[in-house]
Amino acid sequence: MKIEHFLEKNEVREITIFNQLVLNGGTLSYGKMLNHLGVSKASLENDLSSIAVRIEGFDQKVQLQYDGQTIGLSMSDDLSLQQIYRLYLDQSIKLQIITFLFKHQEFSITQLTQKLAISESSLFRKIKELNSHLKEFGIKIRNGQMQGEELQIRYFYFQFNCYIEDKATFLAEHPDDRLTQMIDAMEKFLDVTITPENRERLKIWLIISNARVSIIDKQAKRLRTQMKAYRKDPFFHKIQVFVLRYFSRYSIEVDEVESMIHFAFLLAFPVLTEPDFHEYRLLRDRHAPIASMDTLIAETIINHFKYRRLPYMLERDMSYHLTHIHTRLYFFQGDIEIYEYEGIIAKEKQIVGTNVVSFARTLLKTSTKTLADKTGESNSLLKMELLKYISLLVLITFKMASVIQVGIDLKMDGLYKETLGELLILKLKPIKGVRVEHYDPTKIYDLVLTNEEPKDQANYDDARIYILSEILSSFDMVNIQRIIQELN
Amino acid sequence: MRVVIIGASFAGVAAAFEVRHIHPDAEIMLLEKQDTLGYIPSGLHLYWDKKISDLDEARFVTEGQLDKHGIVYHLNATVQKVNTTQKIITYDQHDLSDQLSYDKLIIAAGSRQLSEKITGSAQESVLKYKRYDEAQAVLIKVEESEHITIIGGGQVGVEAADLLTTMEKQVTLVESMDYVLFKYLDEDMIKPIEKNMTEKGVDLRMRQTVSSVEMESDQKVTVCLGEGSVTSDAVIMGVNVRPHLPFLDKTIKQHTDQTIAVDRYLRTSVEDVFAVGDCIQLSGPGEDRVYVPLINNAVRTGIVAAANLIEPSRTFKGSLRTIGTRVFGKYIASTGMTEAESLFTDRTVESHRQEVRLTSLADSDTVTLKYVYDAKTHELLGAQMISDANILEKINVLALAIQSKQTLEDLQQTDYFFNPAYSQMTATTNLIAWMDERADEDEN
Ligand SMILES: Cc1cc2nc3c(=O)[nH]c(=O)nc-3n(C[C@H](O)[C@H](O)[C@H](O)COP(=O)(O)OP(=O)(O)OC[C@H]3O[C@@H](n4cnc5c(N)ncnc54)[C@H](O)[C@@H]3O)c2cc1C
Repeated sequence: MKIEHFLEKNEVREITIFNQLVLNGGTLSYGKMLNHLGVSKASLENDLSSIAVRIEGFDQKVQLQYDGQTIGLSMSDDLSLQQIYRLYLDQSIKLQIITFLFKHQEFSITQLTQKLAISESSLFRKIKELNSHLKEFGIKIRNGQMQGEELQIRYFYFQFNCYIEDKATFLAEHPDDRLTQMIDAMEKFLDVTITPENRERLKIWLIISNARVSIIDKQAKRLRTQMKAYRKDPFFHKIQVFVLRYFSRYSIEVDEVESMIHFAFLLAFPVLTEPDFHEYRLLRDRHAPIASMDTLIAETIINHFKYRRLPYMLERDMSYHLTHIHTRLYFFQGDIEIYEYEGIIAKEKQIVGTNVVSFARTLLKTSTKTLADKTGESNSLLKMELLKYISLLVLITFKMASVIQVGIDLKMDGLYKETLGELLILKLKPIKGVRVEHYDPTKIYDLVLTNEEPKDQANYDDARIYILSEILSSFDMVNIQRIIQELN
Repeated sequence: MRVVIIGASFAGVAAAFEVRHIHPDAEIMLLEKQDTLGYIPSGLHLYWDKKISDLDEARFVTEGQLDKHGIVYHLNATVQKVNTTQKIITYDQHDLSDQLSYDKLIIAAGSRQLSEKITGSAQESVLKYKRYDEAQAVLIKVEESEHITIIGGGQVGVEAADLLTTMEKQVTLVESMDYVLFKYLDEDMIKPIEKNMTEKGVDLRMRQTVSSVEMESDQKVTVCLGEGSVTSDAVIMGVNVRPHLPFLDKTIKQHTDQTIAVDRYLRTSVEDVFAVGDCIQLSGPGEDRVYVPLINNAVRTGIVAAANLIEPSRTFKGSLRTIGTRVFGKYIASTGMTEAESLFTDRTVESHRQEVRLTSLADSDTVTLKYVYDAKTHELLGAQMISDANILEKINVLALAIQSKQTLEDLQQTDYFFNPAYSQMTATTNLIAWMDERADEDEN
């Protein structure tokens, strides 16, 4: 599903015009714009005048000039494309249908046609269009209700409120006291720290969850099957106890499904910090589907790049992100494409090379085969997870490139040793991707520079050793640079 | 002034008496769905415990008492609709629909034991006995049954498990939490009960949630759990009660948990309409609003609403969720906040558990007490007790102390009698470190 699916065709075109202008430094000729849009000049003129009317509300902060030859866009510094999207989305009927449905959980056709001031037939048409996009989430609007697996419904509303609806409005509409109390209690009970950014995410999730907790006859067949592997999971158990205790304070009956839903969410989205997640990782069953996929993919990545091993914290970080990716693939269906997928893939290819992208595809194929059994590039979830794999790979290569550890171990009298060592460090420091220091026997190095043949190779573990011919000579410097490149 | 009250149980009846007391001239009408009056919901437990010999003895009010106070009541009268704009109530009685206008309306329609999440739990073979007619049916069914499964380890479920094992029934008890009675006691207090339960042969299934109940062909019933299932002769619902208010009109605001929203004077969002008892939330032990369906709350809210009919004059003081009972050979009591529940307060809370002797005699029984208090101010916030001896009344002392915001130091200063046969050096309900019979641990 894409953001533009909430807009009408002409609105999408108008947004594209903005987009193109921004991508092209603010001006574009008619010819190029027509080429891009594939429409007639008359219809472009139409779109431009429609835009002009729409942006009147911005009070000169956005200006569009067009004269039949070129189109120019200027925006004040405190305004971005985001706000222009917002302008279009705020008027979207489809968006209002979803918002209404969330608020009321059930509607009658007359109720909605009155509220939105549209005809019955156009309401049906809009619902039909929405349903075609909701399909990838495995849910649909039917008989005035959102139908499908409960986890999927909440997940959709969550993505919707994060990326389509105005997040700030949504949060403002739902007063806060009990939620804050709930999150504080959760933090205490799970013994975790919830950062402000994660707190906002969790808040949106809990607003949605609490609005739906009392709904009878929730569907959860798929989730129950998926959770079979996690019945004994320690984090699931904690969530379960929390959910039961929290709701025992109200006249709200909760079943196991409620805890299952929270479990899936908390592991799939960044709510826990890495250190808190790490605590859980030490306890979880390593043979359960997500954990074993994390291990498999991590090993594949390490082998692919021919790393011996990753630095401890990087390895932890990788595992943290992999769990998010794999939990989503395991539990969820569908996604909202918040980034222009094709564009990003093309850009990534330019920056990181086709290798990384195709390797990420291989990873996705491996993980989806076991976890998700979903294929086809048209599925937005797979697209978004592919982007995440790519980002992760880029992150790892960057970090790995920057951590070539060089130790200087000169065998000479104290004063010389120190001065020459410092000079060497000074000379090597500007080289990208190295960290140079005096040799410390308790640490692990990739490269050790010394001036005498070592008596016992084993002293330096697996590090490469370079014996300096003439300290500070350009001959040595060239060789050192070559070795560093090789190590990279 | 005509005051109409929907529901003639604890809350409704208490409200009726208080209205009569304050307004001698008011016309008071109680509408009650059931065909008998004043049945005590735990009547069946009294019967099984041989405290009464006939279920009919379990009544807290009689028709004569209402008559004497000039309170009109309609039994078998089910309210179908409330129209707050016109101030008219529609109700069915003996298959006939009738209407009634009111000046003041008190909704005391209470709660019922029903699960919307357990498929099949509404069928008759799944036993509930809050009402008299239900209790009569359960009485017979249980007599015929050998193996009984109880869903829910709250007060009702654990009491039933105790009584039924004493009656030599085989009992399986299913609870989704880690331990029973979790709303009232902390896990460290519950150990002796669970030990006695297991010793008495109760098949305890903790951390298991019932998903559905299915009838078998041979009259047996199967309870399906997250993992596995239990088949027995009968199933008792011991799950939480919930309001059921299909007759409300949309103008009366409800919380998401279906309780009616009321202010401190128990007024609803609509003028001249009040709500009391099991259909509202109260300010609870942590001072935020929670659902505490207990008879004491029903009665007190009934009285407060009656006092506020004409103008708001009395606020409801909130509930500490005070309970007391005897199960599996132990007397247990609890009031206020538990340590586990302190999760939901911003206060820093400490707790202390101690075992103390009840008298100065050599063969004195002991009681284990747990105090939950504010770490900074030492204000008492909650207390729990467990003992072989009947210490139940003592919980009321602590409830009063909490309600009047006493600190641990204040409590040490209260004036108690001393008589060696009935008390010891210091009062049982004082936290005094050197009185510990077993000075073992300081929680936290
Ligand atoms: C098995 C069991 C044992 C319990 N034991 C205890 C105990 O020992 N101590 C304790 O403190 N609490 C106990 N409780 C909780 C206690 O039952 C409730 O807190 C208490 O009954 C609440 O009183 P109430 O008047 O608010 O509501 P209820 O007792 O639920 O009464 C509501 C009344 O309204 C009537 N009514 C409902 N709808 C309509 C309608 N549409 N028209 C007309 N009338 C209607 C009902 O028939 C009912 O008589 C027990 C609960 C159960 C299930």
